[in-house]
Amino acid sequence: MSIEPFNRLVKLAARAFYDDVTTKGDNQPKTGRGDNRGIAVVVLDALTRRQWVREEDLAKELKLHSKQLRRILRLFEEEKLVTRDHRRETAKGAKIYSAAVAATADTQMGGKEGEEKIKLHTHSYCCLDYAQIYDVVRYRMHRMKKKIKDELEDKNTVQEYVCPGCGKRYNALDALRLVSLEDEYFHCERCNGELVAESDKLAAQDVGDGDDNARRRRREKLKDMLQKMEVQLKPLMEQLNRVKDMPIPEFGSLQAWEARASAAGRAVNGDSGSNDPSKNSQGYGGTPMPFLGETKLFGLAWQVEVAFSGLDGKEDVKSESASTSLKVLPPWMIKQGMNLTKEQRGEVKQESKPDGSSAQPEFSDDKKSTVENDDKKKIQDEYLKAYYAALYKKQQELEEAAKKQQELSDIPLATGLSDSSNRQVGMKAKRDDNEGEDDIDWEEAPVTGNTIESYKVNDLNVEAEESGDDEDDVDWEEG
Amino acid sequence: MFFHIVLERNMQLHPRHFGRNLRENLVSKLMKDVEGTCSGRHGFVVAITGIENVGKGLIRDGTGFVTFPVKYQCVVFRPFKGEILEAAVTMVNKMGFFAEAGPVQIFVSNHLIPDDMEFQSGDMPNYTTSDGSVKIQKDSEVRLKIIGTRVDATEIFCIGTIKDDFLGVINDPTTA
Repeated sequence: MSIEPFNRLVKLAARAFYDDVTTKGDNQPKTGRGDNRGIAVVVLDALTRRQWVREEDLAKELKLHSKQLRRILRLFEEEKLVTRDHRRETAKGAKIYSAAVAATADTQMGGKEGEEKIKLHTHSYCCLDYAQIYDVVRYRMHRMKKKIKDELEDKNTVQEYVCPGCGKRYNALDALRLVSLEDEYFHCERCNGELVAESDKLAAQDVGDGDDNARRRRREKLKDMLQKMEVQLKPLMEQLNRVKDMPIPEFGSLQAWEARASAAGRAVNGDSGSNDPSKNSQGYGGTPMPFLGETKLFGLAWQVEVAFSGLDGKEDVKSESASTSLKVLPPWMIKQGMNLTKEQRGEVKQESKPDGSSAQPEFSDDKKSTVENDDKKKIQDEYLKAYYAALYKKQQELEEAAKKQQELSDIPLATGLSDSSNRQVGMKAKRDDNEGEDDIDWEEAPVTGNTIESYKVNDLNVEAEESGDDEDDVDWEEG
Repeated sequence: MFFHIVLERNMQLHPRHFGRNLRENLVSKLMKDVEGTCSGRHGFVVAITGIENVGKGLIRDGTGFVTFPVKYQCVVFRPFKGEILEAAVTMVNKMGFFAEAGPVQIFVSNHLIPDDMEFQSGDMPNYTTSDGSVKIQKDSEVRLKIIGTRVDATEIFCIGTIKDDFLGVINDPTTA
């Protein structure tokens, strides 16, 4: 699930359509200093770097007044670009959100808890609705084109009339009911006011209607406008086409997102800090946007994790596109972790899903502390040998597959689109993973009981962590 | 557009019409009832051209009326969007003009009148070109294109345009 093309779409749309949006009313004079045009673009851009965000926080970060921000957000809500959620919540509710934020963002939200009051507050949250944005932008372009074309061809234009008194609208099909006997105007059915033809024409009427020249000028103007529109909105069109067949990123409702994010957050918190720097390095191409990088990780984590668990280290070496950070974790460790969760903790697995890569060490740490037996080390060593033997066999088997994968992953790497390669790798590796698991289970079974096996394996993992990279290299060369 | 179709209707006939002229009475009553009506589905019934068959009559309890299911052929007229019609102008005002094509009322708003025609008020309001060669006023005949229809259960109203090639005045009463 790649979000970058969609963010680009949002940014283009923002600049195309909301560039001159101001939060000021029309009655206020626009002074040079108070002119805040373009603020809408800033807000949209900021939202592309976030998921669900509390509006107060967003205002603070953008150094905007919250009222000002809310006005812009209301506009975007009307324009269907943004979904908002309002709820009355206690400090606890706010904490859930803060936890969620902390999970998705690396920024420390430590100060939050101190500020909380016991009182209920209504908090508003907002989030970009990518699926809807895509539709809205497409529809908007369609309407723009249709309007100009219709006017150019004078096609299907049913004249509309509006009553200036009561605002009731009619169209030409009502004409028969609207004629009055007294004069030559149409009259409102409700208040008998004189109707005026509504001129929502793009080409200004002031060109002087009447002579042929004016008509030609108007047509030219329209044609020009259409052409200009096509040229200027071309990048947006292209982006729309690019995005067309991609899966649209979904954050779900605020509650769902929070639940997911905080689950992931718990996993992160339980983990030692060792994974944090690695996470930052996951921002693709070292983007200076921690939120963005996170978002992607968030979406990908589940697949990425599987990918590396199944690849037996080969992929780590070769395709660095898939984030260097995860290489630190030896692949078998994750695999065993999954094995463990599958067998023993079905519900824990659910939680670890969104951020599986960082969740695994937690388990292993726990286990390590519980089982610290020296005599097991021998068995461990034996197991290590057996395991590596199996691994080597496996690798030979997987040689062909790995090469193919490498090709696949290398091409996107060159173009800088690491997302797609990740996905492909993930898809493939999933199957490999299962095979590998089966093998290991089968080998272990005769040696020890079920529970011990998993503990032991975890210990082994911790040990193997340092040697993991070396092993990978060697394996690769051998294979 | 005109269609020749078969419609069916239940006719109630008063007992006083019973006799050897029953059938003629039935048909004349049918014509009186149906011709000139408008249904949203079929359009205006212009004329009945023949009777397909008359079913068995059913005597109503209490009243003595007899109900005959009658199948009849008729010509209907239904305007369609995009259709070209010839129509007679019935009223001209600042907002445009109204015209009739048989039973159908058509409104042509002033922005669907060619840009070179301007409204001239007076006791004979009209739309005239700047050189005065073409004039649209009451009783002019125009050829127009229907661009929108409103079809109610018992009424059809159209809006038309003369802002297209080969549309406009076809017979000016003042020069004829």
